[in-house]
Amino acid sequence: MFTPILTIASKEIKDNFRNRWVVFIGLILTSLSLIISFSGSVVTGELAVPELPMLMASLSSIGVFILPLTAILLSYDSFIGEEESGTLLLLLSYPLSRSQILLGKFVGHITVLACTIVFSFGLTAALIHVFTGTELSLLLPLFCHLVFSSILLSMCFVLVGYVVSLQVAEKAKAIAILLFIWVAVVLVYDLILLTLMVAEAVELSSQLLQVMILLNPSDIFRALMLVAAPQQDTSSSLSSLVQFPLSNLYIALTIWVGVMMLISQSLFHRKIF
Amino acid sequence: MPINSVIQVQNLIKQYGEFTAVGNISLQVHAGETLALLGHNGAGKSSLIKMLLGIVKPTSGQITMMGKTVTHEKDRRQINLGYLPENISLYEKLTGKEVLNYFAALKRIDKSKVLQVLEEFGLEHAQDNPVKSYSKGMKQRLGFAQAILSSPDILLLDEPTVGLDPQASLFMYQKIDELKRQGCAIVVCTHELAVVEDNIDRAFIMANGMELASGCVETLRQLTDLKVLFKGEEINQAIAEDEFLNTLAVNNQLLIHQVDKPRVMQYLTQHCGVYNFSIEEPGLSDIYHHCMNNRHQNVA
Ligand SMILES: Nc1ncnc2c1ncn2[C@@H]1O[C@H](COP(=O)(O)OP(=O)(O)OP(=O)(O)O)[C@@H](O)[C@H]1O
Ligand SMILES: [Mg+2]
Repeated sequence: MFTPILTIASKEIKDNFRNRWVVFIGLILTSLSLIISFSGSVVTGELAVPELPMLMASLSSIGVFILPLTAILLSYDSFIGEEESGTLLLLLSYPLSRSQILLGKFVGHITVLACTIVFSFGLTAALIHVFTGTELSLLLPLFCHLVFSSILLSMCFVLVGYVVSLQVAEKAKAIAILLFIWVAVVLVYDLILLTLMVAEAVELSSQLLQVMILLNPSDIFRALMLVAAPQQDTSSSLSSLVQFPLSNLYIALTIWVGVMMLISQSLFHRKIF
Repeated sequence: MPINSVIQVQNLIKQYGEFTAVGNISLQVHAGETLALLGHNGAGKSSLIKMLLGIVKPTSGQITMMGKTVTHEKDRRQINLGYLPENISLYEKLTGKEVLNYFAALKRIDKSKVLQVLEEFGLEHAQDNPVKSYSKGMKQRLGFAQAILSSPDILLLDEPTVGLDPQASLFMYQKIDELKRQGCAIVVCTHELAVVEDNIDRAFIMANGMELASGCVETLRQLTDLKVLFKGEEINQAIAEDEFLNTLAVNNQLLIHQVDKPRVMQYLTQHCGVYNFSIEEPGLSDIYHHCMNNRHQNVA
């Protein structure tokens, strides 16, 4: 049952690490994460990092841009690519179920992304600890939240990539549609949400805001990090706008992963060749 | 059902919406037999193969393989089967060995078999190079090697020799022959009639999803009643001298219906004393064209 899943996963991992841009994006994430953490030091001349809640908000901001993009770049051709080259048809002739093929790819892609995430944020946390002496007991819980929610967010977008990859007839179309989704979900949606947040005049918006957060996995991710690392002193704290406890936000993100998984499974099972 | 009928297809129909890709096909393939699926582009050959694999669900009809009814992918998973899809391009970034190791792992085949197959297919010197550096022939050999990794009971090959040079094609058919002798039932889709003719047991000619003709080449010759050409110096002389032969000849050529072949041979040897002649039988290619042309007449 699990052996074929692991076989496919390890092939995907090998394939993607050989693909240098995965390493490249990993380095971008790492550099951005380090720049955000230590750029203040350049100004002050001594090693210092922003307040942890501020830092977490900034790190989640780069995460929310880069992680979905990495995820879709990793997953956009998983099905249409193999369909075009004929290997998907070949895999289907093997003693494997379609679920095993999809799960194998998923495990492989998530492993690649998780490695990137753990490396980037892990290195950042380690350097902060070493250079500023910030206690691990403070750093670790926050970075664990960051890593876990980043992985969940990546899972969502890998699956969105599968859904599109299973529907389109050419690779180019898949990447075009996914980039459009990325812009809409990560940039445009967020812009609208932020406008609502700052427009204090709109009293009614509070409930609408909660719903809007739940409807977009990247906003759940942002909200999750805001709640995990609340900003105490700022009066107009954004975190106070999020009315969900941390656990519910995790559940919401997990539900998104589950729903996307169900959709991609059912699309793959119904796919006609 | 006879025991040695490894693949049995009955009244198979596949419709995509209104369009009938495969219309009421019945066929059998026995153990140790090679069946060539012939037909124009879009005749429904690949659709038929995909239905045998359980990847495409038939609209109606029945498929039995190795005694098991195949209606879904999972029915086919217990069958030891090899498949080479048409126009396949194997994972270009991986090396030849990695590709075969991957497929071997998915079929739970030992890695030692991979090395053996690489050597058998003359790919051992390139086993550590990425597939994208392979020539067309090497890629095709790799694909074929993949299909036979498990020493399958059933081998389905969709245009295995397309784009290959004559020697490479021959090599493929030699391999097919080896498997056949081990009792494998083989179905091969192809457009290369001249190459396939000497290497198959039976041909199944289809057009627009329907069967036009099927059988071994000899049966097809009888069926199509294409003419046989008697050739040789002595024949030309006999035509000139013998009145009966003269009436048979057209443009000084002795072109005879299949059914009359034995009688003409007898006449030549016993009546004219001509022993030194050759007979040019219609080839698979002639038969194929005949079937296709007649189909158009029927439609018109
Ligand atoms: N998924 C599909 N949806 C709709 N039509 C299809 C589908 N798959 C195949 N067809 C149609 O069915 C017909 C038979 O296709 P098939 O691929 O079986 O032909 P073929 O005999 O293998 O042709 P070729 O020699 O070109 O490979 C074609 O007209 C094709 O357009
Ligand atoms: Mg075809």
